[in-house]
Amino acid sequence: MSDDIEIGHEIPPLEIVVSGDDVRRYATVAQMPGQRFVSDEVARKEGLPGRILPGNMSMALLSRMLTEWLPEARLERLGVTFRGIVQPGKPLRCSGFVVDRREIADGVELECDVILEQGGERRTTGVAVLQLR
Amino acid sequence: MILDLHTHSKKSEDSRATVVGYLQWLLKKKDLLPIDGLVLTEHRQFDADSDYRHLEDEYGIRIFKGSEVETDYGHVLVYGVNDAMLARFDFSNVRLNAQELITDVEELGGIAVPCHPGRPTVGLCEHYENKAPLEGVRAVELLNGGSRKGENERVEALVKKYGYGAVGGSDSHLVSFIGICATEFPREVSDEEDLVRALREGGYRAVDFRDRLKGP
Amino acid sequence: MSDTLPFGIDQSLIGSEFDSSTSEPVTAEDIHEYAASLGETYAGYFGANPIAPPTFCMKFRGNRFSHPSIPADAFRRGFDAGKDIHFGVPIRPGDVVHTSNTLHEVYEKTGRSGSMVFVVSRQRMTNQRGETVATIDNRFMLRPKADA
Repeated sequence: MSDDIEIGHEIPPLEIVVSGDDVRRYATVAQMPGQRFVSDEVARKEGLPGRILPGNMSMALLSRMLTEWLPEARLERLGVTFRGIVQPGKPLRCSGFVVDRREIADGVELECDVILEQGGERRTTGVAVLQLR
Repeated sequence: MILDLHTHSKKSEDSRATVVGYLQWLLKKKDLLPIDGLVLTEHRQFDADSDYRHLEDEYGIRIFKGSEVETDYGHVLVYGVNDAMLARFDFSNVRLNAQELITDVEELGGIAVPCHPGRPTVGLCEHYENKAPLEGVRAVELLNGGSRKGENERVEALVKKYGYGAVGGSDSHLVSFIGICATEFPREVSDEEDLVRALREGGYRAVDFRDRLKGP
Repeated sequence: MSDTLPFGIDQSLIGSEFDSSTSEPVTAEDIHEYAASLGETYAGYFGANPIAPPTFCMKFRGNRFSHPSIPADAFRRGFDAGKDIHFGVPIRPGDVVHTSNTLHEVYEKTGRSGSMVFVVSRQRMTNQRGETVATIDNRFMLRPKADA
C-alpha cells in the first residue's frame, strides 16, 4: 500500500463529536486535573466560553486518525501547535496530507501535515512523521 | 508573475515547513496553484545565511527573502532587507516603532507592508481605531491565508479608505498551506530589490486560491 | 544581551533539570483505558499484551510541570501552546517510565491575544531498560507581568 502514497495524498479524515463526558474520561486517564476541562463554570471564570478539550486530547485524536489510516506504521514524530480552543459537543474534523516521502533503510518515511478544525477554523496544526517497514 | 509574499520556514520557531517541502508541493499542485515564487518572511529575524539558488534552479520556482517583524501597530512584512536596515532595527524586538519602521525602511531602499491588518491585537485595523494612521504606508496584506472568518473582510474597508495597495500571502507555517493566497504582479520580478520596485509601482492585486483546494 | 529572560528567569537556568520522577508500572488496563477514552479501535492497543498509543507518554507529567522560577499563577492563567514529540520504543504493560524535565527555552512574542511569553520544557522519558520512550518539548504560553 505504501507504494501508492505520494506527495499530495489526502489522509482519510476523522470527523467526530467529542462529548463532555468523553473529555472528562480522557482528562482522568491522562492525569490532567485542570477544571477548565470538566467544568463550564470554572472555564468561564477563566475567560473561556465553556469547558474545552485538553490540547493533549486534540493531539491524541490526530494520532488516532493516523493509526486508523496506517495501523502498521510507526509514528516517529508528532509536533503540533494549539491555535485555538476546541470545545466538546461540536463537530470536529481531523485531516491531513502527505507532504514528503523519503526512502529509509528497509522502508519509507512519510511526512504529513495534520490539521484539526472546528467551526471551519484551524484549531490545531502540525506535522507527523510515519515510518513504514 | 504570481508570488506568495508571506511564508515561513522552520527558521520561524512556530513553522514546521521546509523550503523543499514547499517546492515539492507547489510542483505537485501547479495546476491548482499557479505560484511562480515565494517570499520567506521569517518571524523577528532576517535569514541572511540561507542560499536557495540551487533549489530555484532545481524546481524552477523563485525564492526571495524578507522578514515579519512586530511593532506597536501590529506585525509588518519587510521586503528588500539589507545591512543598513538590520543595523537600524533590531528585528527581534517585539515592540518596534511602526512609524519609524515604515519611514526608515523606505529610505533605506525597502518597503514595509502591514500584514493581517484585520487580526486582533497584531493587525492595523484595531490600532487605527484609537491611534493616528501611519504615514507612508503603500500597501497592506488584504488576503492572509491564516486569517479567521471576517478578518480579511475588515481589511477591505481599510484599503478603500486609505487607498492602500492590496497584496496577498498564505502566511503558511505548514507545507500544504503554501500559495493559498498570493499576489499577482503585471510583470516579472527578478530579485528582492526588484520586488521592492514592483511593490512601489503598483498594478498588482491579491489573489485567492483557497477555493481551488479540497483540503486546507 | 541581558542574562535575564521574561519572568526574571536567569539565562543560566536554561538546560537545568528542575524535576525528575519515576512512574508506577504501567498496566494493561491503563493502556486499554487510555485508548478507549479516545475511541481508538486498533486491536494492538487492547488485549492481554497491548502496546500503548504513542501519545500515552503525555500522561507522565512528573512532580511539577513548570520550572519553580515561573510563578504558579502565571501557569494557571496560561495555555498549552503545543508539543513536539519524538517517539522511542512503545510503552508496554510492566514498563516503568522515568521522566526528567528541563527548562529548554524562554522567549517573547506578540499575537492575537497580545504579548505572550513562551516557556518550553523538555521531558526526556526512558523505561526500566534505559531505552528512550519519548522526548517531549512542551510549549506553554504565559502572559508577561504587567509593567509597574
